[in-house]
Amino acid sequence: MDFDTSVKLNIYETIASTTRMPTSTEVALAIDSSVPEVEQAFQRLSEKRLLVLEPGSSAHIRMAPPFSGIETQHWVRIKDKIYFANCAWDAFGIAAALKRDTDIESACADCGETLTFQIRDGKPLPQECVIHFAVPASQWWKDIVYT
Amino acid sequence: MLFFRSEEHVDQWCKVNGVAKRPLVSLDQLWQLAVTWYGNRLTVESRRPGPDEMVRIFSDIGLEGPFWDPKSDQWASAK
Repeated sequence: MDFDTSVKLNIYETIASTTRMPTSTEVALAIDSSVPEVEQAFQRLSEKRLLVLEPGSSAHIRMAPPFSGIETQHWVRIKDKIYFANCAWDAFGIAAALKRDTDIESACADCGETLTFQIRDGKPLPQECVIHFAVPASQWWKDIVYT
Repeated sequence: MLFFRSEEHVDQWCKVNGVAKRPLVSLDQLWQLAVTWYGNRLTVESRRPGPDEMVRIFSDIGLEGPFWDPKSDQWASAK
């Protein structure tokens, strides 16, 4: 396995088990590497659009899609763990990535009413709602946080 | 990529926020996207789909046209 893949897997394994985004120092300790090497890998992974770093930081991850490094309006509960997703797609993405029965709590972007979703046995239970993609695919990465 | 209770709520949100109404995606389509995109994210093999793969993934679940094409230049000057 190459170095960047080791870094990426450690990031995702850490989030999955702790719900927290690891820092470059934590990843370096976990895979027995150095912080500069890990931060270079963070940069390469962000160039491949697999990570989004906090603005101006080489050590802190804002997004490792579908996971968010900060609290958002999209709560994803699996057993006793709560993850935060970057958007509607990513809320379902966490359930798909972790392959567990999942409860999602979000809100209607218009009226703020709570919307809940259940993923059971690998598929969502019926729920009346629609999802609106405001940004065309060609523009997603111009401002991925807005997207 | 936001949830709404109904299309009427999308219309209202677009009007209030001055945002153009774009294609709507159903719950089942969103789930298929999530599984295809993120189903192997915790594995060694995971990677982000390339542009042509993206078009195929969207097309397979009924999302077609330049809006879903990452190579489209239709919105090149837009936000």
